[in-house]
Amino acid sequence: MSTMSGGMWAEKYRPQTLDDMTNQTEIVSRLKMFVQEKNLPHLLFVGPAGVGKTTSILALARDLYGQGYRNFTLELNASDERGIDVIREKVKNFARTAAIASPVSFKILIMDEADSLTSAAQHALRRTMEIYTRTCRFCLIGNYSENIIDPIQSRCSIFRFSPLDEKDMKAYIMNIVKREQIDIIEEGLDAVYQASGGDLRKATNLLQAAAATKDVIDDVSIYEVLGKVSPERVRAMIQRSLKGDFLEAREILRELLIDQGLAPDDIIRMVYSELMRNTVLSEQWKVKLSDKVGEVDYRLTQGARPEIQLSTLLAHLALAGEEMK
Amino acid sequence: MGNREAVSKLNKWIKSWGKKPPKKRAAFVYGPPGTGKTAAVQALATEKGYDLLEINASDSRTKNRIEEVLGKAAGQTVTVFGRPRMILLDEMEGVSGQKDRGGITAISNVIKTTRIPIVLVATTVEENMENKFRPLRSKATLIEFQPVPFGEVYKSLERIAGENGVKVHPEVLDTLASRSQGDLRSAINDLETVAKGKTKVDPRDIEWMGERDRQDYTPNIINRIFSARSLWEARQTISQSMIPYEDLFDWIYENLPLVIDEPGERLQALETLAKADVYQKRARSSNYRLLMMKQVHAAIQRNGMPLSNFQTTETRDGVMIKPIRWLGRDKWGALNGELRGIGASWTYGQNFWVLPYFREPQTKWRYITTYHSRRKMKAVAAKLAVKTHTSTQGAITETIPLLRIIYNADQENADKIDAWLGLEDKEQDYLSC
Repeated sequence: MSTMSGGMWAEKYRPQTLDDMTNQTEIVSRLKMFVQEKNLPHLLFVGPAGVGKTTSILALARDLYGQGYRNFTLELNASDERGIDVIREKVKNFARTAAIASPVSFKILIMDEADSLTSAAQHALRRTMEIYTRTCRFCLIGNYSENIIDPIQSRCSIFRFSPLDEKDMKAYIMNIVKREQIDIIEEGLDAVYQASGGDLRKATNLLQAAAATKDVIDDVSIYEVLGKVSPERVRAMIQRSLKGDFLEAREILRELLIDQGLAPDDIIRMVYSELMRNTVLSEQWKVKLSDKVGEVDYRLTQGARPEIQLSTLLAHLALAGEEMK
Repeated sequence: MGNREAVSKLNKWIKSWGKKPPKKRAAFVYGPPGTGKTAAVQALATEKGYDLLEINASDSRTKNRIEEVLGKAAGQTVTVFGRPRMILLDEMEGVSGQKDRGGITAISNVIKTTRIPIVLVATTVEENMENKFRPLRSKATLIEFQPVPFGEVYKSLERIAGENGVKVHPEVLDTLASRSQGDLRSAINDLETVAKGKTKVDPRDIEWMGERDRQDYTPNIINRIFSARSLWEARQTISQSMIPYEDLFDWIYENLPLVIDEPGERLQALETLAKADVYQKRARSSNYRLLMMKQVHAAIQRNGMPLSNFQTTETRDGVMIKPIRWLGRDKWGALNGELRGIGASWTYGQNFWVLPYFREPQTKWRYITTYHSRRKMKAVAAKLAVKTHTSTQGAITETIPLLRIIYNADQENADKIDAWLGLEDKEQDYLSC
C-alpha cells in the first residue's frame, strides 16, 4: 500500500482494515459484527475531524467486499456536491442498481460532510434511503448530528466518534516516528498533540512538514510550521485593522478569500482564535469582538456575502484600536 | 399501536368518499418522526382495497411536475383493473421553497378538483405548519399523530425482541424506549443494531450508543434564544434551527415585549430590531463627497505641507488635486504614495491627481488577475480531495499549506507526490512556488 500512497504519511498510514484500527474500539467491534453478519443498517457517523470516521467505513467496505471494494462503494463529499439535484440524480442512480458479483446484495454509499447538505436535500435523501434499502446502505458522515434532520437520524444507527485522547494520539504518532525513522523529542510530540487538537490527519501532516524541514523535531519546529500557514496573514490583517488601516486590512482579506481560496468560516475561526490570543486587546473588547464574530458567522449562514460581512469585523477592530489609543 | 384516535379519524375520512367526493378532498397527516404516519396510510389503503400512488421528496415537485403527475392521476378514479385509487403525497415538509417553487399552490389547486382521495403526510409539529402549508390547511382534514407513548414503545420492543428470540435486559428496553422520545421506528432500528448477532443484550452493550438530537419546534427555539446566556449562544441556536429568517424575525418581534418589560431595555431591543429592518432598505448616503475631500486634506497635512499649496476642486468625476507650484521630487513622491493609497492617480501631462468618487470594485479585478493560479489551486485540491477523502475546500484550507512545505523540502518525495496525484506540470508549479 505504501507505494500507492506516495509521499503523504496521512494516507500511507491510514488503517486499511478494521483489524488495523487501534482506536474507537467499541465502534470498531460493532462494525466487525456487521461484516461478520454480512449485513448492516444505515449508518450515521458523527464526531470531530480526523478521528477515523471515513477510515472506518472504508475499512469496513474493504473487509466486506475485498480489494474490489471500490466497485461497490460510492464516495461523495456533500460540501463539494451540495444540493437537491445531486441527491435526486447521482445518489438515486447508484442506489437503485443491485450489486453484481459481490459477496453481499447491497452496495454502500458514503456521504461525507452530510451535515452540510441543505435540509431540502436531506429530505430528498431520506426516502431514497428507504426505497433502496435492499440494494444500498447509506453511511452518512458529519461533525454534528444537530444539522442532520430528525427523519434521517431516525433511520440510522448513530455512532458517535470521540476525540482521541493524548495517549492514543501519541501512540499513533510514535508508530509513524518509528517506521519513518525520525528524531522527535518529547516537547515536539506534545506540540503535535496540542496543535492538532485530537485530529490525526492534521497531526500527521504537521509531523511530516516538520520532519521535512528539520532533522530533530522539537516544539519550536512544530510552531514554525504552523506559523508558515495561513494564520500569519490573518494576524497581519488584524494588526492592520487595529492600527486603523481598514483599506489595507481589506486587501489582505481579499487575498485570503480570493487568492488563497480560504473558506469564509475558516477565516472566521482563525480570526476568533487570534483575537483570543491577542495581547493588545482589552478583555472588554475581546468580549465585544467575539460577539461580533458570532454575528458575522450567523450572517454567513444566512447566505450573506462573505467579504462584506467579514469586513465589518475589520471595521470593529479598527474602532477597538481607535478607542484603546 | 399508538395514535388510535388519529387512525380512526383517517379511517372515517376515507369512508366519507362515497359516490361523490366529500367536502374535504384531502387529508393532512402530520406529527413527529417515527410515529407511523405513512404506515397508517399504507395499511388503511390496502385494507380498503385502494391502489396507492406514492409521491415523495425524492421526486421533483415543481409546479409543472405536480400538475403533470398529480393532475393526471387525480382525474382517473380507478385503475385498469377497476380498483379505486388513492394518492399519497409523502414528506410534505421537504417540499423545497426554491427548487420546488409553486409546488404548494399547485397541490392545493389539484385538491380543489380531485376525484380521488389525496393524503398529504408531513413530519412536523403543528406550530410549524403555519406558513408554508397555509393554502392547504383549509382544504384538508387535519389529522395529528403524536409521539408514541413510552409504555407502547417499550412493549413493542419487548414483543419484537421476543419474536426474534433475543433476550433483552429490561434496563436496555427502558433506555431504548426513553431515548426514542416517541419515535418508534428509531427505537426498533436501535434494537436491531444492538441485538444483531446476539441472543442476549445487557446494559453494557448499549454504552457506546449516541443520543439522537431533537430539533425543537419554534416556541422552544424562541425560548432558547431569549434565555441564552450570551449572544453567541443565541446565534448558535438560530443558526442551527431551520426556521426561515423572516419567520424568526416575526416571532422575536411578537414576543420581545413579553419577555423584556423594563422600558429602557425594551426600547433598546426594539430599536435594534427596527434598525435591522431598515438597513436592508436604506439607500446610500451622499456624505462620501465630503469625506473624500477630508481624506485628501488629511493626506496633504500628514506630509507637512500647507493646504494653500494646492488647489482642490470637486469635479463631476472626482476630486482634482493640483499643486500650485513644483513640490520637488521627494515631497511629490511621498504625497503621491499617500494619495495612491486612497485611490487617487497622477495624470501625466496635466499634472494633477484625480481621486475618483467611486472606485471600481477591486474584488472583481482580484478574481481576474488571480484566475490562473486559482484554477491550478482548485485542480490540485480536487485531486487531493479524492486521494485523501476530504472535501475540495478542506484540501485547500487544511492540506495544501502543509503539503507545500513537504513538497518543497525533498525533490524525490515531490516526484512521488506528483505521480500519486497525477499532477500536470502547471499544477506542480503551483505547489512548488
